[in-house]
Amino acid sequence: MGLKRGLLICVLVSLGVISCLAQSSTRASSAPNTSIPNTTSAINSPTPLSQRVVHYEIDARYDPKTHALDAYETLTYHNFTGQPLDSFPFHLYLNAFQPTATWVREGKRQATRGQTFDKWDPKNYGADEIKSFEVVGQGDLTSQLQFVHPDDDNQEDRTVVQVRLPQPIPPDGEVQFKIRFHDQFPEVLMRTGWDRDFVLGGQWFPKVGVWWHGAWNCHQFHAMTEFFADFGVYDVKLTVPQFEVVAASGIKVSDVKNADGTETVAYHGDDIHDFAWTASPHYRVYEDTFQSSMGPVKLIFLMQPAHSGQLQRHVRLLKGAMDRYDRWYGPYPYKTFTMVDPDPGSQAYGMEYPTFVTSGTSWILPPGEREVPEFTVEHEFGHQYWYGMVATNEFEDPWMDEGINSYNDVKVMDSIFGPNAFFDQWGATASMRQLMRTEYIPVADFDPLTRMGWQFANFNSYVAINFGKTASVLLTLEGIIGEDTLRQAFRTYFMRYRFTHPSKEDFLKTVEEVSGKDLRWYFNQAVYGTEVLDYEVQKVSCFPVNWYKDDQHEKKGETEYVSDAWIHRKENFIFPVEVEIKFDNGEKVRERWDGQDRWVRFEYQKRAKVVSAEIDPDHKIYLDRNNFNNSYTVEPNTAPGSKLVNYWVFVTQFFAQFLSWWLV
Amino acid sequence: MAGANIVRRNLRYIIWFYLLNLLFAWWGAAGFGAQAHRILDRSLYADGLLHGMDIAVLGEMFARPEFGSPAGSSAPATRLAVLFFLISLLFMPGVLVGYASDHRISREEFSRICTHNLWRFLRLLCFFVIIAGIVTGILFGIQGGVVKAADQTSNERLPDILQLVGLAIIFMVATAIRAWFDLAQTDTVLDDQPAVRKSVAAGFRIARQNWVRLLGNYVAIALAAAAILVGGILLWHAIVPPSSVFGAFLISQLTLFLLLAMRFWQRATAVAFYMRRLAEPAPEVQPAPATAAQPASISR
Repeated sequence: MGLKRGLLICVLVSLGVISCLAQSSTRASSAPNTSIPNTTSAINSPTPLSQRVVHYEIDARYDPKTHALDAYETLTYHNFTGQPLDSFPFHLYLNAFQPTATWVREGKRQATRGQTFDKWDPKNYGADEIKSFEVVGQGDLTSQLQFVHPDDDNQEDRTVVQVRLPQPIPPDGEVQFKIRFHDQFPEVLMRTGWDRDFVLGGQWFPKVGVWWHGAWNCHQFHAMTEFFADFGVYDVKLTVPQFEVVAASGIKVSDVKNADGTETVAYHGDDIHDFAWTASPHYRVYEDTFQSSMGPVKLIFLMQPAHSGQLQRHVRLLKGAMDRYDRWYGPYPYKTFTMVDPDPGSQAYGMEYPTFVTSGTSWILPPGEREVPEFTVEHEFGHQYWYGMVATNEFEDPWMDEGINSYNDVKVMDSIFGPNAFFDQWGATASMRQLMRTEYIPVADFDPLTRMGWQFANFNSYVAINFGKTASVLLTLEGIIGEDTLRQAFRTYFMRYRFTHPSKEDFLKTVEEVSGKDLRWYFNQAVYGTEVLDYEVQKVSCFPVNWYKDDQHEKKGETEYVSDAWIHRKENFIFPVEVEIKFDNGEKVRERWDGQDRWVRFEYQKRAKVVSAEIDPDHKIYLDRNNFNNSYTVEPNTAPGSKLVNYWVFVTQFFAQFLSWWLV
Repeated sequence: MAGANIVRRNLRYIIWFYLLNLLFAWWGAAGFGAQAHRILDRSLYADGLLHGMDIAVLGEMFARPEFGSPAGSSAPATRLAVLFFLISLLFMPGVLVGYASDHRISREEFSRICTHNLWRFLRLLCFFVIIAGIVTGILFGIQGGVVKAADQTSNERLPDILQLVGLAIIFMVATAIRAWFDLAQTDTVLDDQPAVRKSVAAGFRIARQNWVRLLGNYVAIALAAAAILVGGILLWHAIVPPSSVFGAFLISQLTLFLLLAMRFWQRATAVAFYMRRLAEPAPEVQPAPATAAQPASISR
């Protein structure tokens, strides 16, 4: 019995040990040995959602009088690259706001975001200065830091700094950097900095580059580009004067009043790849809740005092957008979403950070004007998906966040407000989809979607192609594969690539996979190419079959006519089109042309005259550069032109009267 | 509101000026119309402009290369607006005499008065531009400074409110200057005053003596004009279907006609004030000059 018991104990102990070893081995293979926390307090998920590469712990003190910040950053980096790493690049974005920096040079060259830099204003100065840089276990490497300029070799640019480690970090190993830095914020530029007594802290701390496609990806800060970073955990303490109202990415975990009149507010973020914050004594704070399919989301609105009356416009739109994204693509998993209404007139409006965005509005707005706040709120929330979770490379593929988001702006705004979602006031209307199209038309042949962000011809092209053209390409794609199929493709893309850094091909292949169609003919022209799409009804004509007979008397419904419609592909984008020809007996004929040749003629012999011909009668093509020549009516309709002339006459008369009123 | 009776008796002037206003504007819009019709007339896409006002369609039309440059449309309109102003300047002396007369002045007399006073009116215009330019320039400068200072505060509404208050003050001051020069013009014509600086002084005197009533009348009429403009546009929007070109034409022209009438009402008010001053007994008897020039057409 004793032996049996002893054996039993041995077996149980052995099984226990084996089991523990097995569990340990399982953990080692599924979850790396990492000191990056597995916290989930900021997300509605019991387990982490991303591969957590980084853990930032920052303790920062902001002085609103000097618009400066001193901070201590501890960055833990886990090497998931599968190879030893002996060098690390860091972004120092605030150094872009210096007269010799690439950002300012490019901005001066092409007046990016309205910044002409006619004269250098000292208030534009910004800096992110590393005071000390220590690598745990490898010593102080401050003197080893070197500025690098991977994109333009501008030796004066200080937005990327690199450090080479004496000892490489092995695969699956970790390294910890301890960085003391000092920030000088500019008067708001590129949605970071101060304005009066407001501050928006964006891109404000040394941030490590991303190991992507087998190499470090850490571009300089360019006038037209945005950002790219790895997912991880953020624990940030901000010390500010007690009169400030503070908000930031993630969830607030503590708020301690200090004896010196300051307070220290601590925030925690899980599975995010950036951290922004704001402070102002004037914010009015409102809270609400949205029930996502993963759990409740606390909505925090920081409004300017004069904008409190517009709170409901913000709330309605935000909840509407969150509802549609949740149903169409997948859940918003974070526990908070903070919307900041920044200082009026500052350039801080309309910017996205994980779980935290800025919108912007005015104290007086007619209800039918929806660029602000509705469109801006919707657009910035959309970035939580296309940038926040599907974290594409904004330097290299700006269309994948801005453009895909713009397409979804159209879908969400149309869904909430109907076809005239952008503007519907005083009898004038504007739809979101036409807005996107008209934005892109003037630069249709300048740049492909796939251009690196800083390599676009100019800022207009950057905006028009990334926002307007991408939206138009995707709206046109709806016409090819169907709206529901494209929505399903987006859902698949989101669920498959959330919390990763997908490439353009990941997206395009997902669309092909879900639609079951080879779409290369379209992507090669619309995404990779600069082909321009312009089809026209060149001519419509009609004559009686017996035109040569002297006793020819035309009678409606009896006389037989030969009718012709010439369709011409004016540009080099080949696209199959439908053409609708209408006759004066009410008959309509639909034709389909593959567009391979330069022109086609459709001929009919009927007891009816042709009235009109129209390309794309269902209005599915949003890439056509000229919609006016898509149709041709045999009989002119002068009413639209006369209506405009009447407006013009009215304005001219009024101007003449106004001049005479005051001068005579 | 003595001016109202004068306007009613002399409605023909407003009609003639209105027709000129319309004719010039029509002429100025010819280029715009040709460009617009060329793009729109045979396109179904233009329906977006007829059955509403689709801003995207409108923007696309302006952006078409075949539409031409914006200057190509606006320059003729601007030139013809300036021409209307010059014509107004030329014909206004005749209108003032007509307003001061108790009978209908002949076409020949009207022409003679207009040409006779043209040079004087041009000089008065120079006086007006200098004085109004300096005064409003200073006021705009002060307003800009105040608004800029307000912009530094955290009260977002304050700059806009100050801007509006500033504009209201500038409007009042500009109206007062306009009333002063309307009286000066009246004096030039009715007193046949060759030295316009004396008319400027006389106008200033009369305006100062009656400034509350005069300015009150002018501001009330200007506010009525603003109400007509806003009301006309609202009515246009409310009752005219978007596709009714003729309906839009009618209501827009009615609005402009009434707007023009408001300015003629102000003119008539100035004449009435001027005539009333003449009717008042002189404070002390002065020996009358032997050769006092009096325009033959004026009945007192």
